[in-house]
Amino acid sequence: MFPAANTVPASMSEPLEDYLETIYLLVQEHGFARVRDIAKARDVRAATVSISLRKLSEAGLVNYVRREYIGLTEKGEEAARRILTRHRLLTRFFQEVLGMSPHAAGQQACAMEHSLTDEAMDRMVRFFEFLGTCPSVVQAFGQCPMGVRPGDEAPCGAGSETCAKCALNHKEASMSVSRLKPGQRAVVTQITATGPLRQRLLDMGILPETTIDVERSGPGGHPLWIRCQGAQLALRRAEADCIRVRQAS
Amino acid sequence: MTLTAVAPTTKTPLPESPRRFRVALAGNPNCGKTSLFNALTGARQHVANYPGVTVEKRTGQCEIGGSPAEIVDLPGTYSLNSYSPEERVAERELASRPDVVVVVADSMQLQRNLVLLVQILQTGANPVLCLNMADEARAAGQRLDVAMMERLLGLPVVETEANTGRGVAELLAAIRRASLAPIARHRVVLGEDLEGAIAAVSEHLPEDGALMLSGEWTAVRLLLGDVELSRRVAEMPAGGEAVYEAQRQRARLEAVTGLEIPVFVAERTFGFVDGLLRETRTPPPRIDARALSDRLDDVVAHPILGLPIFGAVLYAIFWLTFTLGEAPMGWIESGAGWIGQSVSSLWPAGSDSLLRSLLVDGVIAGVGGVLVFLPNILLLFLGLAFLEDTGYMARAAFLTDRLMHRFGLHGKSFIPMMTGFGCTVPGIMATRTLENEKDRLATMLVLPLMSCGARLPIWMLLIPAFFPPSWRAPVLWLVYATGIGLALALALLLRRTLLRGEDAPFVMELPPYRLPTLRSVLIKMIGRAGLYLRKAGTTILAISILLWAAMSFPKPASHQIDARIAAGEVVVAVPGAAASNGGHVTLSAADVAARRATEDLEFSAAGRIGHLLAPVFSPLGFDWKIVTAMIGALAAKEVFVAQMGIVYSIGDADAGAEGLRALLARDYSPLVGLSLMLFLLISAPCMATIAVTRRESGRWRWALLQLFGLTVIAYLTSLGVYQLGRLVV
Ligand SMILES: Nc1nc2c(ncn2[C@@H]2O[C@H](COP(=O)(O)OP(=O)(O)OP(=O)(O)O)[C@@H](O)[C@H]2O)c(=O)[nH]1
Ligand SMILES: [Mg+2]
Repeated sequence: MFPAANTVPASMSEPLEDYLETIYLLVQEHGFARVRDIAKARDVRAATVSISLRKLSEAGLVNYVRREYIGLTEKGEEAARRILTRHRLLTRFFQEVLGMSPHAAGQQACAMEHSLTDEAMDRMVRFFEFLGTCPSVVQAFGQCPMGVRPGDEAPCGAGSETCAKCALNHKEASMSVSRLKPGQRAVVTQITATGPLRQRLLDMGILPETTIDVERSGPGGHPLWIRCQGAQLALRRAEADCIRVRQAS
Repeated sequence: MTLTAVAPTTKTPLPESPRRFRVALAGNPNCGKTSLFNALTGARQHVANYPGVTVEKRTGQCEIGGSPAEIVDLPGTYSLNSYSPEERVAERELASRPDVVVVVADSMQLQRNLVLLVQILQTGANPVLCLNMADEARAAGQRLDVAMMERLLGLPVVETEANTGRGVAELLAAIRRASLAPIARHRVVLGEDLEGAIAAVSEHLPEDGALMLSGEWTAVRLLLGDVELSRRVAEMPAGGEAVYEAQRQRARLEAVTGLEIPVFVAERTFGFVDGLLRETRTPPPRIDARALSDRLDDVVAHPILGLPIFGAVLYAIFWLTFTLGEAPMGWIESGAGWIGQSVSSLWPAGSDSLLRSLLVDGVIAGVGGVLVFLPNILLLFLGLAFLEDTGYMARAAFLTDRLMHRFGLHGKSFIPMMTGFGCTVPGIMATRTLENEKDRLATMLVLPLMSCGARLPIWMLLIPAFFPPSWRAPVLWLVYATGIGLALALALLLRRTLLRGEDAPFVMELPPYRLPTLRSVLIKMIGRAGLYLRKAGTTILAISILLWAAMSFPKPASHQIDARIAAGEVVVAVPGAAASNGGHVTLSAADVAARRATEDLEFSAAGRIGHLLAPVFSPLGFDWKIVTAMIGALAAKEVFVAQMGIVYSIGDADAGAEGLRALLARDYSPLVGLSLMLFLLISAPCMATIAVTRRESGRWRWALLQLFGLTVIAYLTSLGVYQLGRLVV
């Protein structure tokens, strides 16, 4: 698998962890692992395998069931399971959350599993537990156009307390002001403009959680005439596109 | 020695020469700062009901508590974080540390207005809060607990009505109070985390006088990530620490709150203001029926009806300018004629007195010819005042934005262009409200095509000369429309070639409708009339005399017509005698005099120049008389009218008997009239315009492009129209 550039926090060296993992998988499948199979899976010569096996055996992680036939000690099995869990968690993260292909996710996981500390793993487990109860976060990330642009903030209004307030729970509820029709009312969720325009909009009092009323539109639909915090403002489409809103309840 | 201390030649400044007590007026756009400035100082600065009227700092004098004070009116600004050039003016003025800053707030828009107050407090200024438009707030049913507000903010708060001057005395007293007991520490509460971050950054700021505003404000700006300021601070000794600390604090706050820092700071600031208002304001009762203003806007700003209504409003203004102006114009015309005749009659008939000629042909024909159109000018400005003061102008900008956008201009370009109908110079100044330099240049360069007030006398002279009464208003409207159309086309061309670039954002506030007060309209009218009269009495008078001289000298030693009479080729008809004279030309005495006058004129300096240039302009249908008049028009457009008056007064014995218009109609075809109007509309803007373009663009290049570009276009247009017209007619 992929060599990791980082130092290995565990007591075991990184190639040994990989061997342990391979042996674990083979044992799961066949009930035992043979040097030949290990060499094949790791794409190395049998002689190389023997050296590593000796080290693993000295650490009390593997034992020889018969000549050539290798099994895992209890300690070895536990260590292997730990590594595998990390591998699976990371693969899942890259694949399901970040949306990478299964192959790329697997490779990335291999590169990172050795350097993941216990704390990080614990957090990740908790994150997936959270996802189990609130999958909308990931859905929103996948659906939000902002999610895939570099340099943008998280699309979910991280300041909002409850998920009910999160406009992104309902895809159709999140839109830009330019999609509103005269007479409609909405609540600002996010200002996606940057630089001077964002500052100008903020100065005008267009902040998250303020209400916007669209009064009317100019000839041909634009500019929009909106009312916000008691002031009446004209906005062009380009500016209105920069204000994301949800339907007012 | 006491003498040296008093001597004005001394180089070293006098020790502690008391600086003038200075009061700056700051606030959001359109909150009434200039109205207040006028009320305080008695000045007559331009006031109108749309944001962005004032673009330059203005100063005036006023007495506070018996001692003189300097009042500074500033361009409006939504916040001190802004980027447009005229909003930066306010920041620079605050940095020069006025003694008291009057923060003018629109009582109906307190949230946003008080955010600016918070920022000004952060700069370490010594503010007084002025709650303006108290009348509107009262009418809407909003009540404010001023005493409570004073206590919570820890600074003097007064309610005013700037347009009537009510509350101004209290404001003066409050300014005095503030100057006697400057605010020590402001009471703005933004929350521990943000305040902690601000304090942490300001701790690291170098103790350096080079920082423009207070450490607190600098810290806020660094936190917000102001690139320019960060660079400046980083260059100071030990300044890098502060910039680094700001970055650290920003990252920390963003991580903790999950908000981007500008949004976070804005939320906290608005939050403080909301809290303050909850304590001090009884909001207007919710009325479900939509306000009158909204119902008016439903019609006026209608997506389909809006633009036709706007066209009709403009047409109505031109029509009134014409029809209502006609009668008073006639009075002034006959008055000028009467004065001319009375002055003339001081000399014996047929006198060659130079003084008589100067007074009658130069001054009265020239200046009088321009003064005649004063009523029209006033009516045009009355129309513009109506557009400005009611708030309709901002609606028109809203309606035309899409159109302007299509031509590469900005919706906000529209207001400077409308101002250009009055005078090009303030129009060009008003382009400062455009944030994008390229929008601004494009608007500036095409602005002279908006037919200004000075050109109105030309239209008033030429249109009735060549068009029947029912055609006059439509033709005037057409002249203006041609100017607008050409301005848009040229702007598009500029934006596609020399001034290519990004669009600037368009966020414009639409003010509520306001009833123009008689007083404010009258002040505008009188101010305009004064300007026009002053211009007539100075520039136009001087140029008239100059042109008169150029047209009177040098005088020919003898006249051809006399030589021909002596030679017997021409016979002067004797009244009553038989008019037959085999083969000879017979002329009346008056005709002979006219011939002499024409010869004089052609011999004069102006005549020669005119003749020299005439071949260049004859393809356009212009003769040498028009050419001489156009040279004068470079100084000021009205001079064209003055000049035509002088040309005909000197060169035509019939002048005075018939009106100038009749003479023009006699000498030129309507086609020449059309070609002439187009040329004068498009060609070289006046000197003042060139100068202000140079100043506002910062480059001679643009001013010269404007001068020559427009003149070439004018030449080609007139050439095309005249030559095509000749084929058709
Ligand atoms: N009803 C009412 N109208 C006011 C009052 N003060 C000013 N106005 C009107 O408000 C409009 C704006 O006034 P200005 O003095 O031009 O405002 P400004 O703050 O100088 O505006 P900018 O120069 O654009 O920043 C004008 O139409 C004034 O007549 C007031 O106290 N009551
Ligand atoms: Mg002003």
